[in-house]
Amino acid sequence: MKTTGAIAVNGFAGAVLIFLLFPVLVVVLISFSSVDFLSFPPPSLSLRWYRTIFSSWEWIDAFLLTLQVGALTALLSTLLGVPAAFALSRHLKGGQGFVNALVLAALVTPPIIKAISIYLYYVPFGLLNTVPGLAFAHTVSGIPFVVINVVAGLRGYDRDLERAATIHGASPLRAVLGITLPLIAPSIIVGAVFAFMQSAQELLIAMFVLGTLEKPLAVKLWEGVRVAIDPSLAAATTSVTVLAVLGLVTVMLAGRRTRVTRVAVRG
Amino acid sequence: MSVNPLPAYPARPAGWTRSLSEQGRNPLGLLLLAPMLLWIAVFFVFPTAWMIWQSFAERGLQPYAAILTSPIYLKVLMTTLKICVITTIGCLILGYPVAYVLTIAKPRTRAILLILVVLPYWLDFIVRSYSWMILLGRHGLINQLIMGIGLSQSSLPLLYNLFSVSIGMIQILLPLTILTLFSTMIRIDRRLIDAATIHGASPWRAFLTVFLPLSLPGVYAACLLLFVSALGFYVTPALLGGPEQTMISQTIMVIASDLLDWPLASAAGVLLLIVTTSLLLVYSRFFRLDRMLGGMAR
Repeated sequence: MKTTGAIAVNGFAGAVLIFLLFPVLVVVLISFSSVDFLSFPPPSLSLRWYRTIFSSWEWIDAFLLTLQVGALTALLSTLLGVPAAFALSRHLKGGQGFVNALVLAALVTPPIIKAISIYLYYVPFGLLNTVPGLAFAHTVSGIPFVVINVVAGLRGYDRDLERAATIHGASPLRAVLGITLPLIAPSIIVGAVFAFMQSAQELLIAMFVLGTLEKPLAVKLWEGVRVAIDPSLAAATTSVTVLAVLGLVTVMLAGRRTRVTRVAVRG
Repeated sequence: MSVNPLPAYPARPAGWTRSLSEQGRNPLGLLLLAPMLLWIAVFFVFPTAWMIWQSFAERGLQPYAAILTSPIYLKVLMTTLKICVITTIGCLILGYPVAYVLTIAKPRTRAILLILVVLPYWLDFIVRSYSWMILLGRHGLINQLIMGIGLSQSSLPLLYNLFSVSIGMIQILLPLTILTLFSTMIRIDRRLIDAATIHGASPWRAFLTVFLPLSLPGVYAACLLLFVSALGFYVTPALLGGPEQTMISQTIMVIASDLLDWPLASAAGVLLLIVTTSLLLVYSRFFRLDRMLGGMAR
């Protein structure tokens, strides 16, 4: 039953999706350009800009630094966020409103405020110009991604499975570690990957905390984007994108595997 | 499935202090929560409080007076609010139909569409703004198209104005819009629309009188979330806007890193903080955190 209205809505949604995805396509195509200037569509394709990026120590150092900060951020966010999500969805009697507001504030407070306040705060503690210092600050914005996803995961989780384990003699802790955590693993992974990505993309805190000595990828991109007249930046950004898509695929596969397990467990 | 897409937010007892004392009977919750609360306190709340203190410490209220009486800073504030309103409205207009299509799509189509919607969300802000620089430039694809079909003889100034900033910010915030709206719409009982249609309502009428009102909580939530997110934008207005589109984050950055006037930068930060915090308090009263981003995984 296709009415003209339905066709119009679908057409509009399709146009919006093109608007959403076209800029992405542009950057990816330009990164394979064979010429020295930013023309779209590129006259012919080549890998020269990827060779430029990956033979430059400056870019490789930036990649490695981003990887370090992001990994530490994802780890800390997961360790802090998962227990909090359990508390929020199971153990708290009231007070969720306060915790939710705090977590939300940690997520959406403008980065410039976080950057300035953490800079002023780090000066007396000697945490400026350190990798852990940056990761500690990024963890504040990483925690919400873990909490939001794990709370959502726990809402969709059948707690009877855990009760079954307890009835059969497992301690409550063992039931959570052995049954619940593996089953909500996809939610935890998604949260951790998002925590990593927000750290990799964060610019202002990184600029204030690391100064100009060490440059993670975002800072390097930011400096490059304002002078760039060649497609090397497109190649660098596409590499990050590939990293992100690999993360997404990992998550999707993890999700699929667990869905199968869940069905299997339910018989 | 409940009819109400947003079950009443768990009513807050007499006060947060009372609810804290209630935890005494079951300390496990607090124990699990404590590390995260401590972390957010040490690396977010204390630094913010320290910034508030710094804004008063040296010159008292003078930095605030300087901002609130300066036509330049007030203009930046107005520009920021204007861009945020345009971005929020633009996102809702473009995002609502997509979220609707996602809601009524078959599970398989929906999964593919969701991946497409989330994909740009994973790309760097800087990258996405950069791509608009390429597209909207004097010799960019859009200008080539416009001249190609003869709409204009010379290339149009599409970049470094309100138009390009809005386009860039809308594109960046659209995935967030769509996911927030979708997470409300998916909870609407579709049988209600069928019921309206069976009783003689046209599809359009059924949408207007049943689906649209039930989706409004999601629209309000998206409004607040988009507005607060837009307030903090730095990269996009800096790359795609001209001097007329300077937003507050850029101004604070200049005060801090070029003028090195920390009390003034802190005071501007505090003013921005007051706006975002009040909006957030409204948001958290009406919308549950786990509904955000549709719980991304699912």
